[in-house]
Amino acid sequence: MRRSRLMTLVVLLTALALLLAACPAPAAMPATDSDADAADSPASAAGQFKVGLVTDVGRVNDRSFNQSAWEGVVEAGEALGLAEDDIKYIETQDAKDYADNMQQFIDAGYNVIVSVGFALGDATTAAAQENPDVFFIGVDQFQGAAMPNLAGLIFNEDHSGYLAGVLAGSLSKTGTIAAVLGTDLVPPVVAFNEGYIAGAKSVNADINVISTYHPGEISQAFLDPEWGAATAKQALDQGADVIFGAGGITGNGALQEVATADGAGEAVFCIGVDTDQWNTVPAAQPCLVSSAMKLITPGVVELVTMASEGEFPGGNYFGDVDLAPFHDFDDMISQELKDLLEETKAGLFDGSIDTGYGN
Amino acid sequence: MSKNAPVSAFHRLRRRYGNTMIVALALIVMAILVNVTPLKEQTWLRVLFGVSALNFTLRWTVPLVLGALSGILCERSGIINIGIEGMMLAGAFAGFVAKTSTNHWPLAASLIFSVVAAVAVGGLMGAVHALFSIRFRMDQIISGTVIIILALGTTSYLYNRDAIAEGKFSSIPIPGLAQIPVIGPVLFDNPPITYLALIMVAVVHLGLFYTRWGLRTRAVGEHPRAADTVGINVNRYRYINTSLGGMLAGLAGAFLVLEAVGQFQEGMTAGRGFISLAAMIFGNWNPIGALGAATLFGYTQALQNELLLAGVTQVPRQFISMLPYVVTIVAVSGLVGRVRPPAAEGKVYETEGSA
Repeated sequence: MRRSRLMTLVVLLTALALLLAACPAPAAMPATDSDADAADSPASAAGQFKVGLVTDVGRVNDRSFNQSAWEGVVEAGEALGLAEDDIKYIETQDAKDYADNMQQFIDAGYNVIVSVGFALGDATTAAAQENPDVFFIGVDQFQGAAMPNLAGLIFNEDHSGYLAGVLAGSLSKTGTIAAVLGTDLVPPVVAFNEGYIAGAKSVNADINVISTYHPGEISQAFLDPEWGAATAKQALDQGADVIFGAGGITGNGALQEVATADGAGEAVFCIGVDTDQWNTVPAAQPCLVSSAMKLITPGVVELVTMASEGEFPGGNYFGDVDLAPFHDFDDMISQELKDLLEETKAGLFDGSIDTGYGN
Repeated sequence: MSKNAPVSAFHRLRRRYGNTMIVALALIVMAILVNVTPLKEQTWLRVLFGVSALNFTLRWTVPLVLGALSGILCERSGIINIGIEGMMLAGAFAGFVAKTSTNHWPLAASLIFSVVAAVAVGGLMGAVHALFSIRFRMDQIISGTVIIILALGTTSYLYNRDAIAEGKFSSIPIPGLAQIPVIGPVLFDNPPITYLALIMVAVVHLGLFYTRWGLRTRAVGEHPRAADTVGINVNRYRYINTSLGGMLAGLAGAFLVLEAVGQFQEGMTAGRGFISLAAMIFGNWNPIGALGAATLFGYTQALQNELLLAGVTQVPRQFISMLPYVVTIVAVSGLVGRVRPPAAEGKVYETEGSA
């Protein structure tokens, strides 16, 4: 008798543990609920325009890709006058759930599905092939063969990295700058690095750029802040005085390390990636001069709006890139450098500057 | 019999020269590396033995060796601890919460308080593991897995992204010693948890092999029936050791948050708990051995970074990062030296008549 009570307790605790591991997606629950509604009364869904977003592994408020893309969906939803119930997201808990999560939206009759991240590429392509009536927006997903109902929102990361490189090359006093990167298994990360190197060399041909990629596989390479931090320290030890951290949470670790290093914000600086990391990684503020941004939010807004108008551009759709504001470092950046960055941006845009990536 | 002779000769060779063989192998690999790449010898010296590489190695070693010590304490008393990853993460999170809620305190007080919190929560996770394994006779592998899932789920559920830990431990150079070239900046200019981790290796080693507690712990892990017969309370030793092990894992978590990264991130242990287990096994359940194994893991990690930083692309870096695991497999499979787990590991101990 006593034994069986104990067993019950153990079973309950185990269940609780599993529940806690699975539940940090409270906002995703309504999406599941609405499945049931939609399935019960398909007629009520007709005529409505619904947008669903599937995150990469992680939370929707990750202050990175997921969040930027979701903000785009929300903004587009407001502009199009969609009801709050017609925009939903599902937070992916595990990489093997990508397809299932998209299927949930498909079954519920959603018109547009945004899938966030390079890793979802294959699942998104497969879903788009099976469901020609649904529009898919794949953030950071390069399209090899264009499909009319699938748009890959991609960016010229090399342009963004080039701007960061020009900034880093101009700021460096030691003549050595570094990049601490996620994995080279993800082409955009390589593009950031190649652009960064080319940009730095354009202002100082002799500059020594030392770059490292995380050695792990995709699922780990962006989630290892201590590797980023320790590697940033290693680069600082070798005399680097500007460090570009590009690789999700791994890169954030690098920024945080530089922010606590001797001379942070005076002799050593860091540059963030993807979004304005002044806001997303406040702990990096002591060293963060700028971030090499991909403007995901406006790209998602444009694509969702086009889908609603029935003028969906299949294939690759290029979003804009830019450097984030300098915030507290604004006074430190000379006017010449600001002008140079503006010229560079214009040159990259009209094609007169070539980063050399992909040639 | 004659069939066995060459094998036993190999065994003897292996026992006597096992470590020498590893070192020789490493030197051969290094020599090949130096020859196939265009770098100058000076650059190679920096890549292989530069301060930045050695600093990285030590920094990478600290959480691994603490995790391995945690495993050693548990397993030497007969409890398999696969949940080190979870205990580490829980400790890291506790340290972060404690730090963020005491940001207004003087930095040192706040940091020390946070370390205590991390260690306490780690110990608590250890106690829970012991409770599952001993009281509830749960399969220890499953209990460890539950600990990991529990820690991952709870910490990411409770984690507040707006919270910032202000400040982390900074280096305390040891006067005099820190001035020695290369060795000084690497070994004697570190933040406190790094020193503590190295001290803990010695403490656990001495404790395990030169004290009454250590002897009894090992007896409980090897032959609990015999230990029981001479009046040692088997399960009490297991409770205590597993909780102590949890505390060490919590300290590893404290290292990550309060000394290394300075902030918490979801799942930031990134598999270090599991690599600790490999270090423990490779080190033959011996603290000094575990330190050696963890250092090797750290060094290969540092090396593959150094090669990239130096622009070496002739050698696929995946090979370098693969090395420690290959070495572990070789060690575990008994090719070089032999490792042996405590005999009573993973088995529930029930006093006669209680079942």
